[in-house]
Amino acid sequence: MENIRNKRNRKFRTREYYGNSASDYHLLPFRFIELSESKEILVNEVGESLIVPRGTALKIAQRCIAENDPIIPDLISRFFISRKPIPELIDVLATRYRTKKSFLDSFTSLHIFVLTLRCNHSCHYCQVSRVTENREDFDISYNDIDLGIDHMFKSPSKKLTIEFQGGEPLLAFDKLEYAIERITRLNKDFKKELSFVVCTNATVFNTKNLQFLKEHNVLISTSLDGPEFLHDANRPKTGRNSYQLVLNGINYARKMVGHDQVSALMTTTRLSLDYPIEIIDNYLENGFNNIFLRPISPYGFALKNKTKNIYDDKKFLEFYKKGLDHIIKINQRGRYFVEDYTAILLKKILTPFCTNYVDLQSPSGIINNVVVFNYDGRVYASDESRMLAERNDLTFLLGHVSDSYESIFYGKKSKELSKYWSNESLAGCSDCAFQSYCGADPVYHYASQGDFEGFRPTSGFCLKNMGIIKHLFELMDFRKEEVMPIFISWISN
Amino acid sequence: MEFVCVNPSLLKISLSKEVYTIDVVYKCFYWYSGKYSVTINEGLSTIEIDLELGEGIQKVDGLIKRLKIDLIDFKTRDIVSKETVNIRELLVAKAFAHGDEFDESPPGEIADTPTNC
Amino acid sequence: MIDLVCLGKAFDLQKEIVAKITGIEDSRVVNCKSLNGDLVFLQSDTSINPDLANQKVVVGQKFLDQLYLGDVLLLKPNGFVRILFRVKSNHNSLFVTEMCNSNCLMCSQPPKNADDIDYHYTINEQLINLIPKSTKFLGITGGEPLLLESKFVKLLDDCQNLLPETHIHVLTNGRYFAWPKFVELFNGIDKERIVFGIPLYSDFDENHDFIVQAKNAFNQTILGLHNLGRNEFRIEIRCVLHKLTFERLPRLAEYIYSNLPFVEHIAFMGLEYTGYTPYNSKLLWIEPHAYSTELEQSVLFLNSVGINVSIYNIPLCLLTPSTRKFARNSISDWKKEYLEECIGCSHLNDCGGVFGTSKIQSAYIKAIID
Repeated sequence: MENIRNKRNRKFRTREYYGNSASDYHLLPFRFIELSESKEILVNEVGESLIVPRGTALKIAQRCIAENDPIIPDLISRFFISRKPIPELIDVLATRYRTKKSFLDSFTSLHIFVLTLRCNHSCHYCQVSRVTENREDFDISYNDIDLGIDHMFKSPSKKLTIEFQGGEPLLAFDKLEYAIERITRLNKDFKKELSFVVCTNATVFNTKNLQFLKEHNVLISTSLDGPEFLHDANRPKTGRNSYQLVLNGINYARKMVGHDQVSALMTTTRLSLDYPIEIIDNYLENGFNNIFLRPISPYGFALKNKTKNIYDDKKFLEFYKKGLDHIIKINQRGRYFVEDYTAILLKKILTPFCTNYVDLQSPSGIINNVVVFNYDGRVYASDESRMLAERNDLTFLLGHVSDSYESIFYGKKSKELSKYWSNESLAGCSDCAFQSYCGADPVYHYASQGDFEGFRPTSGFCLKNMGIIKHLFELMDFRKEEVMPIFISWISN
Repeated sequence: MEFVCVNPSLLKISLSKEVYTIDVVYKCFYWYSGKYSVTINEGLSTIEIDLELGEGIQKVDGLIKRLKIDLIDFKTRDIVSKETVNIRELLVAKAFAHGDEFDESPPGEIADTPTNC
Repeated sequence: MIDLVCLGKAFDLQKEIVAKITGIEDSRVVNCKSLNGDLVFLQSDTSINPDLANQKVVVGQKFLDQLYLGDVLLLKPNGFVRILFRVKSNHNSLFVTEMCNSNCLMCSQPPKNADDIDYHYTINEQLINLIPKSTKFLGITGGEPLLLESKFVKLLDDCQNLLPETHIHVLTNGRYFAWPKFVELFNGIDKERIVFGIPLYSDFDENHDFIVQAKNAFNQTILGLHNLGRNEFRIEIRCVLHKLTFERLPRLAEYIYSNLPFVEHIAFMGLEYTGYTPYNSKLLWIEPHAYSTELEQSVLFLNSVGINVSIYNIPLCLLTPSTRKFARNSISDWKKEYLEECIGCSHLNDCGGVFGTSKIQSAYIKAIID
């Protein structure tokens, strides 16, 4: 066989020689959705998107693309169509698919330990419980911590995030100390990449606990709902000013453990809906570089206080859009400030990588990415699952921490849930253009609609995510020049 | 395609099976079943759909216009998903395969190939 | 510019010799020694060294003046001398073949068809034995180096063994890497000390294939990059800027980020107006300022998603202010020039100049006065 190390004929050939006829192609899997009367969004199996004139998908399917339509190079290079029945670059596409789903490689990485249900606050939307500060019955036992840690080290994940929750976990500081020290000790053998997070209301810091958190590099996550009047209305604490306490706590912690080690989360109540700008400005004033505009979850005790906590998902969308617009303006003025949920979605839309945000995965984050060891030794599929359990609904109870790893993680409950945790196979999702950006949430749909599968036409999860993702595409299309530099700065860390 | 407003709260739709498969109709009307009561009957050559809204259907013209667009969209989705079902399976199989067991040979003439490859 | 070659007059030179400069006696005589001990004098004048037993080549004084101790030369019986390696330069390369399986419209060194692999291989094997162990950087170029196949791997292996501190940069079209079995040949190579610089001219296969004048080249190159990435080789992507590449440049940048996010560096390169380019001028030539918007968009995008990006071969005055910091001093020292227009430019020290080899220059080159 003669190897063409050399081309015998070095006469240049015309472009036509290297071209193909316009209608000669095969379809690759993609989905689409109307963006406006004149435009639609095409999204392929690996999340690559293209905004095109309305009707383009139909033309592609019917092979009605004009010979000289400039869209052809885009469709080929973005993997919407292929010249060959099996595209020559299918291995590249498969790598991209695998990368997008690579959060599965590591299986459970987030392990939540609920150290206690005791709390010194009484927030009306509290997802779990309010117990007086002095009831030792509501603390996790040392034995259950040990068992939980042992399960955790069985996870194949190279990275482990350990999140301590409550109640107020720092009220059970001895348990927190014990857990962190034991994990650190055991990890000398396991050699996992560890991250610790403590979710605290920031009102019970002292030199001792902060010193310890600093030594072990523990990220402090606290709650701040916005301006004083709003925060205090959302998070009343008998006789004292909650807002001032939290801010004092945040500043104290920043001084002790470092500015970037302290983060804050907000919850949107009905009252918050009228104040997106004020909430964001409050975060800015308090020295944060990001905010997570987070709707209230329809779980747990939030449902007890419906007038304060339950609102129309459409109202939240308006709140989000106003907030995002304000945040874009802040960035345009030169201040780097990120809306976290938007950043997560943009990573899914604009990058080839996957995100580790457990509430927006398919297969869903429950069990696959997160597991909860509750104060009473029970093991739940997610944080939301234990919130349901506090209302005596044990649907997502996977077992007890003393059960075997296999029965908890690969047991009957897991198998049953797995039928509903991929949006690729859910009614309404299987055809959705935003499938690869979105996720499946059987816990949410069970809590809000009564079954794991859910009903998309009235699902709050669907309405919210469709609304937000479509809005982001609108921004990236209609206000491309101004938003793209900002959005790209958010995805590149 | 026929749309008949029988009374203010009932819209009857008749679709030819030659144009729309039952799959397309189900997928399309799924999205209407949150607001409307939807009944789908498959006849010999047509599919009959009843859209009912107790409080009365507002803006029937707008609804019919939307329905027509949605039917075309869902039919397009159906074409794409049916035509790409094999390649999609191959893609997922490759993505989760171990090593290179599913690798394709690179394109090109034999004479283009390095020796022994 | 420096002349790397010279045609002198040889005396008693029976065969081609690769020799290292081992002594410079006075400015008019240079001693060179080959691996097997052959001694050759390079001198400006026959009268200096009349002993006929010595092998010698007489060259011009100007050529002699640019030689340094440690430089390696190729000397031919017909009096032809080529500087193969310059100790004072950071742009030394092994030239491995003139053959190529592509035929790029803008090739600056058009390929030839004769099989010259063994010829260059013999020279290079000697060369790598003669150059200093302290050499920081060595390029490998052609033609298409991968056409050497297993010989190429052998050459790389020898380079890495003989020169343990040297970083190697290979210029290849990467097409052969599409075959996983071919990539396996490179398993024994120290991946940290080698970068493959691979050209990609478009995100659209038909464009790329037309530019490189080879069907399937795009898919082969992408698969090659993909295979290299999977095997954790270090990769640089290179794109020459001209009329056939600039329009889809921002799309190419996105394509690289989406499909090849593992590449460690991307270089956008100005056109060298030599080789095939003058012949294909109508297809290729465009003033750099006419593509500055596309270039800026592409560079800023790649930079903001965290991929290292550089601009080669374009003087600063032809770039938008926001892209100037990405310009590198990339033109090999022996080809680099500044023009009359550059006099008084306040950026002259930071500027990489222009190709002395280019037959035309941009009409927009002018001194930047701050």
